[in-house]
Amino acid sequence: MRWIHPLSPEVEETAEILGGKAHGLVVLQRLGLPVPPGFVISTGACRAFLRGGRFPVGLDAELAAAVAGLEAATGRRLGGPRRPLAVSVRSGASLSMPGMMSTVLNLGLTAEAAAGLAAETGDRRFALDSRRRFLSSFAAVAGGAPVPDGATRQLERAIAAVFSSWDTPRARTYRELHAIPHDLGTAVTVQAMVFGNRDDRSGSGVAFSRNPNTGEQVPFGEVLFGAQGEEVVSGGSLTRPLHDLADRVPAVWAGLLEALDRVEEHHRDACHLEFTFEAGELWVLQVRPGRFVGGAAVRVAVDLADAGAIGRRQALLRVSPQQLRHVRTPRIVAADVLTRGLGACPGVAAGRVATTADTAARMAVDGPVILVRPQTSALDLHGLAAAAGVVTARGGPASHAAVVARAMGRPAVVGAADLSVDVASVRAGGQTVPEGTLIAIDGTGGEVVLGRPRIVTAAAGPHLDRLLEWADEVSGGSSGRSEAERLNAARAVLLPG
Amino acid sequence: MTRPESTGTDLLVLHALRCIGFAGLERVAAATGLPQADVESELIDLAVAGLVSRVAGDFGGWGLTDAGRTADAERIAAELDAAGTRTAVAAAYDDFLVLNPELLDLCAAWQTRSVDGVVAINEHIDPAYDARVLDRLTDLDRRAEVVCAALSAALPRFGRYRVRLADALARARSGALEHVTDSTASYHIVWFQLHEDLLATLGIPR
Repeated sequence: MRWIHPLSPEVEETAEILGGKAHGLVVLQRLGLPVPPGFVISTGACRAFLRGGRFPVGLDAELAAAVAGLEAATGRRLGGPRRPLAVSVRSGASLSMPGMMSTVLNLGLTAEAAAGLAAETGDRRFALDSRRRFLSSFAAVAGGAPVPDGATRQLERAIAAVFSSWDTPRARTYRELHAIPHDLGTAVTVQAMVFGNRDDRSGSGVAFSRNPNTGEQVPFGEVLFGAQGEEVVSGGSLTRPLHDLADRVPAVWAGLLEALDRVEEHHRDACHLEFTFEAGELWVLQVRPGRFVGGAAVRVAVDLADAGAIGRRQALLRVSPQQLRHVRTPRIVAADVLTRGLGACPGVAAGRVATTADTAARMAVDGPVILVRPQTSALDLHGLAAAAGVVTARGGPASHAAVVARAMGRPAVVGAADLSVDVASVRAGGQTVPEGTLIAIDGTGGEVVLGRPRIVTAAAGPHLDRLLEWADEVSGGSSGRSEAERLNAARAVLLPG
Repeated sequence: MTRPESTGTDLLVLHALRCIGFAGLERVAAATGLPQADVESELIDLAVAGLVSRVAGDFGGWGLTDAGRTADAERIAAELDAAGTRTAVAAAYDDFLVLNPELLDLCAAWQTRSVDGVVAINEHIDPAYDARVLDRLTDLDRRAEVVCAALSAALPRFGRYRVRLADALARARSGALEHVTDSTASYHIVWFQLHEDLLATLGIPR
């Protein structure tokens, strides 16, 4: 086929053609991991669509054949009245553009198909919930256009919408800022839906092969039972620690540990998986590099070198001098703890409470601010950027607030479940704290305290010491140099020019 | 369609405080485009009516009272009803919401930058990068201008935002970089005041 490729271990096309997401799925399949069956429409088809304003010649026929193949593989019919097939339709460019393009989930759940799903599962609530999710995700990409009746038309429209989302002004701006060419286009991955909202042995989650805060070699992440994946990353729900899987769905937990081991062995680096489990069966939906920062990056590089997964020189190249800035993490010493959540980005920040992103931005003109929110969204970015630290009542380590805070190196505490945010005050532990009150947060231990506590900064730690020793061996000495200079000297030898 | 009347200066001042929050004379004057002396005179009258109050001292300024917030909501809603342009303002607000995430992206890109995979504060030491952000902001501003024009046609008082946004962008482009996100007259601050104004005008809760 010219425009469409199956998701299969034998596919040899590059990420330029398949997009990074689908390419990652092919790698997962090669590692023998469970990936929902599906196919990918190439970036070339997107380019042709954007040039001509319609599907290129041949795509319709290939799409019909690919859907028929998927129906045969799953024993289901797209939009069928019995055993209906529902699919996810996701964007995926060769270079990551997170949040910039469209996704449609649960597609194919026409009213008739949803009735079929209810009859098949004996669970009308589940079927209607899934159809509602389809309608809202379709509406979000269709820009107010009515939802077509037929599942095939729905699929064509969703694919066209994902193609078109490559060229929104916002996506163009993102590419300009990140020096990504405008002519790449996005691939579209179509996969059989796996339903995390199916029953109480279903759910979705994200997992890191190591702790992204410390670099420690223990699986880390969060899970939401009875939910589809977007609820986990939205930070709008109270997630559970990953380890809850071990008790409730042991087979999923065992499968996930195996998956984390295999992807890490393959990539020779800490990795991040998105997964869903349906009725006790695990499915892996996405793999990404862990992209740890600060002390966690140092620890992972040293541990991987000690384990023989990478060489010492490679470990030195894995840690940029930028990372060293974040290595020494201060901690709050015993203080008046107001509430406690999950440490989502290490470090201590003190500042005045602001309860909206706008007030945070305004108040930050006069000194440091801690943004305290029920949860954050893309609309809070300016507040997060302006704040010295962030606290949220909801969400886990992969919530928007946690991801953005980590990316910006801002101390963050998330999932402080005892916390409630009012118009211009916050309440926790039976106390009301007005906007403007000085508080401090510890993004390692998750403490939120009143006032300005005593802070200690730990010693560099054995991992940084060892990495710097390796740096000195490469550069031939450390006399009188700072840590960053020692690392730079080694990198200068390893990366001449 | 009847031609919308311009807003009285008392309501302009009251509503400016509603949209910019607690502020000194200078910022209220900048938001309304009125001379400081006129603003002060209006504020004193509004204070007598119990709609605003003043906090003295170096960090003092003017803010709405609860009664002022209620009065503003009523008068702004009445103004919109009298103009008969609710549909046009609501349509412009929808267009604004399309631009809003992009403006947030641009603010984030102006303040932070990815170096070696670590997102760090943008130290503004790479003029080429800053120019790229400013070029995209200029492009967005051209699209924002269309929205502002529709708003001004519906309610003339919205015309002030166009002046303030254009001024912030021009200053930033001429090298006063604080006018993108950092100063109280920055593009980002004016943008959020416009956002707040649209919510207040249409009676949409945050």
